[in-house]
Amino acid sequence: MFTVVAEDVTKTFREGRETVAVLKGASLHVEAGEVVALEGPSGSGKTTFLSILGCLLSATSGHVVIAGEKVDQARPSACQAVRRRHIGFVFQQFNLFPALTAAENVEYALNLKGVDGTAAKAQARELLERVGMADRMRFLPRDLSGGQKQRVAIARALVASPSVILADEPTANLDASVATQVLELFGELARREQRSLLIVTHDPRVRHVADRVVGIADGRIAA
Amino acid sequence: MVDLGLKTLLFDKVRFLITVSGVAFAVTLVLVQGGLFVGLLDNSTITIEKLGADLWITSKNSPNLDFVHQFPDSNLYRARSVPGISRADNLILSFMQVALPTGAEETTIVYAMQDFSRWGVPWELEAGSLDGLESGSFVAFDESASKRFGPFEVGDYREVNGHRFRVVGKTRGAKSFTTTPLAFMDFHRAQELQPDLLSGKTSYIVVKLAPDADPAAVKAELERRLPYNDVYTAKAWAERSRDYWVANTGIGFNAFLTVFLGCLVGVVVVAQTLYTSTMEHLKEFGTVKAIGGSNLDIYRMLGQQASIAAVVGFALGYVPAELLKPVIAGAGLKLIIRPELTAVVFVGTVVLCLLSAIVSFRKVKNIDPALVFRT
Repeated sequence: MFTVVAEDVTKTFREGRETVAVLKGASLHVEAGEVVALEGPSGSGKTTFLSILGCLLSATSGHVVIAGEKVDQARPSACQAVRRRHIGFVFQQFNLFPALTAAENVEYALNLKGVDGTAAKAQARELLERVGMADRMRFLPRDLSGGQKQRVAIARALVASPSVILADEPTANLDASVATQVLELFGELARREQRSLLIVTHDPRVRHVADRVVGIADGRIAA
Repeated sequence: MVDLGLKTLLFDKVRFLITVSGVAFAVTLVLVQGGLFVGLLDNSTITIEKLGADLWITSKNSPNLDFVHQFPDSNLYRARSVPGISRADNLILSFMQVALPTGAEETTIVYAMQDFSRWGVPWELEAGSLDGLESGSFVAFDESASKRFGPFEVGDYREVNGHRFRVVGKTRGAKSFTTTPLAFMDFHRAQELQPDLLSGKTSYIVVKLAPDADPAAVKAELERRLPYNDVYTAKAWAERSRDYWVANTGIGFNAFLTVFLGCLVGVVVVAQTLYTSTMEHLKEFGTVKAIGGSNLDIYRMLGQQASIAAVVGFALGYVPAELLKPVIAGAGLKLIIRPELTAVVFVGTVVLCLLSAIVSFRKVKNIDPALVFRT
């Protein structure tokens, strides 16, 4: 069963008087528990494609189905609901909230998904334990290493058990050994918990944990 | 629930301090200017309020308490003949010159009646007495006169319009809008001092109604019997006097301008710091959206930050305004911060801070979602 279905997705942007086509009919299917690496040169449309799959951006045409729900591009609230229920993000720059501790970063994401109080605290603790951050829960991001920050970001992406995790260059800011650990953690979590994991990357190490590598060039997916 | 708005606001302490300082400065400015304005207006009508008259009979079209024309003092008898009046008396209010021991001269506003004690004057006495003013050349000054006349005590002598008077009383809290010191003396003595202006004349007739009298009926009857005078209730006369200063002297506009500038400073500071903060945290707001938050969640956060800045800024601005009271009193002015003024400034601070957050709302609404992926 496919948890991510993208069919003939196009995206154009207006730049002054010109219309620039960034995606020119990109299609991709990702199964539950599958780890897919999406590779491509700069400007190929990787981030735009990821934004559309993550319901952060609407496609100009084509259709997207996430975890069986058709993404209605015309309704931002519907997109937000799909994002809230089914998608977790991991970013290159971690994007943790600097004023919140590791535990609070995860707890806040739980709050946004409707989990509050002691339940949120307990789940945040459990998620951080799963990524090996049990002893750093009270630390602010500034007191964590790059690898630790990315682990916290992964724990946050796992909040509310999303069907799909979208990761944008998750190892770009990590040294080699830490990057390997993070990728292994990613792969293990995706397969064990049957989540679809799409990793946009330039890092060749990702190929070792990916089930499939797809390329994107000039706005089209190449197998 | 994790309070991201509060924690983010307090995380950058320097920025938070700058924000609340800006609000506090604006609050102090508005409270002090507003309080001084209220204090000045309070001075302008304090004698109307303290005298306790129900009705004031004035010359026709008198603009305010201090700028009055005289009319025959015999009108008093016509006023006294109106049913429903328990007491009516003449009251002179006139500008006179006081010769100082230095040889200089200063102006004083003389209040003159036959018997002040029947009208609750003085309402506050620091020394001496106003009893028996009619029995000689006696005068009482308000203690605020010492600022202009130099120090004086009961028993001292001062020349008023070229006549030697013995100071027999020192009152407190009797002030005028222009800060010209007030003096109290006997009605006939005042007439003697300015015979050209005051002989057979009075400035006002003050009227106290009988307990069961109908104020409107008495007022109408007075107006009928004294067609060349105006009759006001004490409240209406006080309002007319205040309105004159507000509308005719530019003080109202001046106060409005300062209050407006104070508000503007507060709004600009809060809007600027919130906007800068929003710009710096734009990626975080994008992240909030990416992990399931909505624009509303972010608006709520910005609104909360603006409200906190408003409340803390107000508290920090209120304290110096209160502390300035004795300093301002030392300069002979009154700073009156009434609960109504405090409430208005507080609500205004919160509303303006929230409005200033709207600039940031617009920025958040238009966040490029792909921003979260950028390095």
